[in-house]
Amino acid sequence: MDKNEILTRVKEVVSSVLKTDPSEITDDSNFVFDLGADSMQSVELVAGFEEEFDIEMDQDKALEVQNIDDAVNFIAEYV
Amino acid sequence: MEELRKLRQKNLETIFHPKSVAIVGTNKVKGTVPHDILDGILKAEFTGIVYPVSPREKSIKGIKAYKYVLDIPDDEVDLAILVFPSSVNHMALEQCGQKGIKSVIIISAGYKEVGEAGLLKEKQLIEIARKYDMSFIGPNCLGVINTAPDTLLNASFAREMPGQGSIGFLSQSGALCTAVLDYAQAKHIGFSKFISFGNKADISEIDLLYYLGNDPETKVILMYLEEVSDGEGLMKAAREVIAQSGKPILIIKSGRSAEGASAAASHTGSLTGADEVCDAAFEQAGILRCDNIEEMFNKAIAFTYQPAPATEKVAIITNAGGPGVLTTDAAISRGLKLAKFSEETTAILKKALPATANINNPVDVIGDARSDRYLAAIQAAFDDPDVAGVFVILTPQSMTDIETIARDVTEIAKGQTKPIYASFMGEKDVAVGINLLQQHQIPHYILPESMCSAYQVVLRFNQDIKNRSHQLPEIGGIDKQEAGKKMQKALANGRSYIPEVETIEILESYGLPVPQGKLATTADEAVAVAEEIGYPVVMKVVSDDIIHKSEVKGVELNLGSAAEVKEAWDRIHKNALSAVPDATISGLYVIKMIKGSEEIILGIKRDPSFGPVLLFGLGGIFVEVFKDVSFGAAPLTREEALGMIEQTRASEILKGLRGRNPRDVESIVDALLRLGRLAADFPEIDELDINPLFVLDQGKGSVIGDARMIVKTNN
Repeated sequence: MDKNEILTRVKEVVSSVLKTDPSEITDDSNFVFDLGADSMQSVELVAGFEEEFDIEMDQDKALEVQNIDDAVNFIAEYV
Repeated sequence: MEELRKLRQKNLETIFHPKSVAIVGTNKVKGTVPHDILDGILKAEFTGIVYPVSPREKSIKGIKAYKYVLDIPDDEVDLAILVFPSSVNHMALEQCGQKGIKSVIIISAGYKEVGEAGLLKEKQLIEIARKYDMSFIGPNCLGVINTAPDTLLNASFAREMPGQGSIGFLSQSGALCTAVLDYAQAKHIGFSKFISFGNKADISEIDLLYYLGNDPETKVILMYLEEVSDGEGLMKAAREVIAQSGKPILIIKSGRSAEGASAAASHTGSLTGADEVCDAAFEQAGILRCDNIEEMFNKAIAFTYQPAPATEKVAIITNAGGPGVLTTDAAISRGLKLAKFSEETTAILKKALPATANINNPVDVIGDARSDRYLAAIQAAFDDPDVAGVFVILTPQSMTDIETIARDVTEIAKGQTKPIYASFMGEKDVAVGINLLQQHQIPHYILPESMCSAYQVVLRFNQDIKNRSHQLPEIGGIDKQEAGKKMQKALANGRSYIPEVETIEILESYGLPVPQGKLATTADEAVAVAEEIGYPVVMKVVSDDIIHKSEVKGVELNLGSAAEVKEAWDRIHKNALSAVPDATISGLYVIKMIKGSEEIILGIKRDPSFGPVLLFGLGGIFVEVFKDVSFGAAPLTREEALGMIEQTRASEILKGLRGRNPRDVESIVDALLRLGRLAADFPEIDELDINPLFVLDQGKGSVIGDARMIVKTNN
């Protein structure tokens, strides 16, 4: 899958889970520092990505992903 | 390092007296640390400006929130409190640095305490702080409280703001802080500053000690420590704070049983446990070590609530004979004395009290006493010239007007120059009186024993402080260069254990009293040495492979002729090789035998926190059985060296017992001072034993009987 497509869909999931205006999500937005995700929402994000991309990720490693860019690169390994 | 200390002191002033605070990473979720920190600040009615910084919220609790600290429009934000997860706090700290904020508290956990990954995050925080000349408390801490009315800062997630007082409290454990706050609240004990310093990645207990030493609102400093990472620094800080401010420092250092003595490469090593070293070092620095929270606060309120007593003489006023006797016993056993009343005092008491009362000290106003008798007795005691302090004991009889008596005690105490302490014995009925006493800063104790202990500690501290100085003596007759050469030669083949002969050569360069004698490599040489130094002699095996010579029967005493020397030569070789067949024997050390002396042990052990520690004690081969030893962190003053000797049972023997002559204690003091200098000059010395040191009669000095050294190597 093309990384740009992954990026667009990642941003949609993030906007939905964190109820954030998509215009506030940049490519290097940190989930916690810039977007205010708490620990529960971090788990919801991982679940959201798995559902969106129909993949199963290594949960521990997925939770270590800190920002949009890294999330795109991480998901790219699965699709 | 000194510059960094100064920077921290400057930034600490802003931590405790900020005009504005940013809570970075806060949110609206009740019951979470990020929310409760903000909540606590607002509830305490902080006098400055509050800036919530939250990536998601536009406002929290009716206060405008900012997405980033850089978005705060004002130029000056004094203090930032970081409550983000540890994964992103470095980003917050970086922005604080860019904003020009110098003072930070990092509450979040997930750092060094969770392992290597957390330690790396901590190091990252330190790098950022250094870059911007910032200082921070934490991470992994409860936070900080300043009760001063012009600040009212509760930058913590403690349940409530404590009352204002003059006790400064620091703790390495955040959880303990909450228990202490609750305990203090129940007893109406207030604080000037209350600090949980967590992982102390930047600001440590030493910085905080200096700060509280200079803080006009703090009269006594209490500390809870789990580990002493810089013992030498702590001792130095404590000495300076006490000397400059006169403030007592009380410390609970936990982990008494956690660490044992090191592996027994030397007697000194096996005797020197981490906790004994801590005890000795604290004592030297003037720190008052406490065993538990109750003891600590019992003493703290005595220091802060009432004037210091001038002498050990107390008056006890009681309404019951039994408690009066208990209090007397407790007082006497702690070195206090019962004041002797003047005739005038006795006359006043005789007039004011019934015939059945006891008007001598302890004064028993008897069981049916009401407040009038108490008042008369207490006033008479205060006015008596021999009384330095007054103890009021009360038991709740049916007619005892507890509340009135308590109120009278608080009234009569006002303006007095002598301290008054109380023990209202019981719990339920006396509670109303105890509450009043506590609210009006009359030190109250459930047990008379605690009361007497507290008085004694305050008395002793104030007496000692006048004599406290850390003047190090001049020591002549030291050739450091020569000792260095001998040390290098001894270590040339990479060994870490330096046996007797070479250790003694090094000690000789430091003016220590070495024995007459030489290493002999043949039996004939041994005889020649013996005849040169004079019989009787001692012969000992010298081998890098044999540390405990006695255990292999490698020592023979009292050899009085050439024939005996030759026979002993063969026997020692046979014994040594039988026990350690592969041992390489360098020769036998032939030394003059010393008779008519006491055997003591001196030693050096390098403590990882406190540096070189000296040991003194009753010596010989059973030293580890008797364990009559004392410790002192080098460098020692002359008084400290003498103090080490006097605190052991051996000191009684050295004074002369059962017709024996007094021994040359001054030579032991001299040896301790020289060993302290040796340990300071050569940080590679890890352990050193002189066992025994033969101490001769007064004026005749002492002689080293045996010595060995263990040195740190790179292996």
